Amino acid sequence: MFQYEKKLQFPVNIKNPNPKYAQIIISQFGGPDGELAASMRYLSQRYSMPYAELKGLLTDIGTEELSHLEMVGAIVYQLTRNLTIEEIKKSGFDKYFVDHTTGVYPVAASGAPFTAAYLQSKGDVITDLHEDLAAEQKARTTYDNILRLVDDPDVREPIKFLRQREIVHYQRFGEGLQLATDRLDSKNFYAFNPSFDKHCNKKVNNKRM
Amino acid sequence: MDKCKLMREISAVEFAAWELHLYLDTHPCDEKALEMQQKYVERAKELRKEYAECYGPLNYKEGSGLKWVKNPWPWEYMKECDC
Repeated sequence: MFQYEKKLQFPVNIKNPNPKYAQIIISQFGGPDGELAASMRYLSQRYSMPYAELKGLLTDIGTEELSHLEMVGAIVYQLTRNLTIEEIKKSGFDKYFVDHTTGVYPVAASGAPFTAAYLQSKGDVITDLHEDLAAEQKARTTYDNILRLVDDPDVREPIKFLRQREIVHYQRFGEGLQLATDRLDSKNFYAFNPSFDKHCNKKVNNKRM
Repeated sequence: MDKCKLMREISAVEFAAWELHLYLDTHPCDEKALEMQQKYVERAKELRKEYAECYGPLNYKEGSGLKWVKNPWPWEYMKECDC
């Protein structure tokens, strides 16, 4: 189960609202490599993980991603407070504003709404962990791009924290992949579908099929 | 301790505990890391107790009602909190 902690994982306090920045950063809320996709990916994949360490890792990282979603939401929320209609028109925020006012909605910077098509849960430990490693790098690149576009230190500090977490998660997933490959049958040299086939073979041997 | 300083301290200590917790998922037999993790968890408990008494609960076990619902919520801009 999940319980709320009434604090952010890293503080967000942005003095100067900036709707231009909000439009960019919203991509890490509901975009293709965003925190919502990350959390849903890991919390979905964990059920078919065959090893205790990996069940723990996917649960913990999936949970931390929810905290990151909350931080990105806080950044967007603070960047869009007290705006005038002139500022909204001038910054190009009007295209978001017409559908959501200043409500925080899971959408990519391009305007595409969040979709589960951004993630996969394949039921195969090797496949899923490779997706997870790629996802962490894609999110890291997105944060790098945000840092290329944003000057305000109040915004950059929490973004830098989130970028660092992608790097740590990549490291932990790499260790998870090593743990999984170490346990594969020596005959399964090409590392395909180990958990599903193991289960099927057991049924054949017990004559339940 | 003042509210902002105490919150920063809790965040730092809990971050250290959480980072070690993740590390221990893939290194579950590292006794030294386990000991360090426990140390941070214990320190966080003391700090959280002080925070709940002075400034309000951080989760439902630490308090409910007026103390819980009161502003600010974590996503709100806090001018006085230059952290």
